[in-house]
Amino acid sequence: MSFFEQILALLVRYYPYFLDGVKNTLIISALSVVLGLFSGTLMAVMRMGRIKPLKWIAVAYIEFIRGTPLMVQLMFIFYGLPMIGITFPDVSFIPNFSRFMAGVVAMSMNSCAYIAEVIRSGIQAVDVGQMEAARSIGFKSGESMRLVILPQAVKNILPALGNEFVTVIKESSIVSVIGISDLMYGTNGVIAITYRSLPALAIAAIMYFIMTFIGSRLIAILEKRMNHAR
Amino acid sequence: MQDKNIIQVRNLSKNFGHLEVLKDISIDFKEKEVVSIIGPSGGGKSTFLRCLNLLEKPTSGSILFDGTDLCAKGVDINKQRERIGMVFQHFNLFNNMNVMRNLTVAPVKIKKMEKEEAEAKAMDLLKRLGLEDKADYYPSQLSGGQKQRIAIMRSLMMDPDVMLFDEPTSALDPEMIGEVLDVMKQLAKSGMTMIIVTHEMRFAREVSSRVLFLDGGKVDEDATAKEFFTHPKSPRLISFLDKVL
Ligand SMILES: Nc1ncnc2c1ncn2[C@@H]1O[C@H](COP(=O)(O)OP(=O)(O)OP(=O)(O)O)[C@@H](O)[C@H]1O
Ligand SMILES: [Mg+2]
Repeated sequence: MSFFEQILALLVRYYPYFLDGVKNTLIISALSVVLGLFSGTLMAVMRMGRIKPLKWIAVAYIEFIRGTPLMVQLMFIFYGLPMIGITFPDVSFIPNFSRFMAGVVAMSMNSCAYIAEVIRSGIQAVDVGQMEAARSIGFKSGESMRLVILPQAVKNILPALGNEFVTVIKESSIVSVIGISDLMYGTNGVIAITYRSLPALAIAAIMYFIMTFIGSRLIAILEKRMNHAR
Repeated sequence: MQDKNIIQVRNLSKNFGHLEVLKDISIDFKEKEVVSIIGPSGGGKSTFLRCLNLLEKPTSGSILFDGTDLCAKGVDINKQRERIGMVFQHFNLFNNMNVMRNLTVAPVKIKKMEKEEAEAKAMDLLKRLGLEDKADYYPSQLSGGQKQRIAIMRSLMMDPDVMLFDEPTSALDPEMIGEVLDVMKQLAKSGMTMIIVTHEMRFAREVSSRVLFLDGGKVDEDATAKEFFTHPKSPRLISFLDKVL
């Protein structure tokens, strides 16, 4: 059997493993980016704000998360949180819910730090003259942000946010180590059954690539729309 | 009426860290006056102008605008800024809004003017500039001269009592300077109180009622335009004029 035929054979026989994995990978990634977007926005506001203690907390958090491996963070959440008494409940209708939540929390906390930086740099890339013009005509600082700065910052932020989503899809493969049935976990399952590691990995790689490729195309389209809109 | 002080600067000092940029400046601006400020680069002209609407916070001293101390606690600076127009060297039109929205956003949101009324007023101003066909354009689609004239109109939409200009023609190609200066001349003729930082000596001489020489953080000369250019007294001004004229 050629390599291509091996891939086909695996797909025909084990496609539910892969599809289920793709589904879970997408769910985890989407949840992580959405939660990361909310917490990251909050973190960016804290970091840029005037309240010193909040600023320090935000800076420390962002630097720490960005300076340590996701794998370590994931282990910390998965093993560490139960030790200090924080456990996610098991929900009957979603198998492995507590594991799943640990993975989502770790990924979101990680994403939060990166997204906070994306938002901060997107806002700071807007010419300071825009804020000065808004303030000098009589807008309050919040109004200036809302009417003038943020609409311009979004244009800087969106593409970077798209990149973050693509990164998260790839990085999320790490949650398979705590037993979350994502695409990588499914792939390992197929390998364990069939011992055909190379074709299985090739399938995983192609599926990851399809997800990230579609993701980045969608973002490119969105970007174009926005440029037309203005 | 001609004699009422609209802005009174009292012992204004401004430091950036250890750098003393403005040193104990006290000066008055009367209603309907057109005052040009000239001086060497780094002399503190922009900083002075930006202190007048508190874009820079004075280190000490006070700015009285129509009798209100802008630095005093409890003063709503946003309310006061509505009455002080500011025009920047780099125009600073809102890049995310078209020309019409640039002109109407502040009157509508701040002064609660009806949108239709604001748009009619904006159209009127645009027609006077011959720019009525540009209402839907975004700033990036305009020339520098067009941007600056629209930036001036954006301030005028708020019916300010004073207009501040920080080198409004310095970022323009030479062939566009004239169209902006023309608008400013008309504005001066209409009785607007104007404070203008500029390098355009001829314009300062023709249009201003008074000219200030700001150097080393101090007002080194304060005279009528004619007196300023024909009989300068400060030695530094004399050597400055020698260099630029
Ligand atoms: N935000 C700031 N932080 C630190 N220093 C500043 C700041 N703004 C201005 N300065 C300094 O203050 C001094 C005066 O600057 P200012 O911009 O008022 O000069 P200017 O007379 O407007 O000069 P130019 O003709 O070049 O515009 C300069 O030495 C400048 O470097
Ligand atoms: Mg300047």
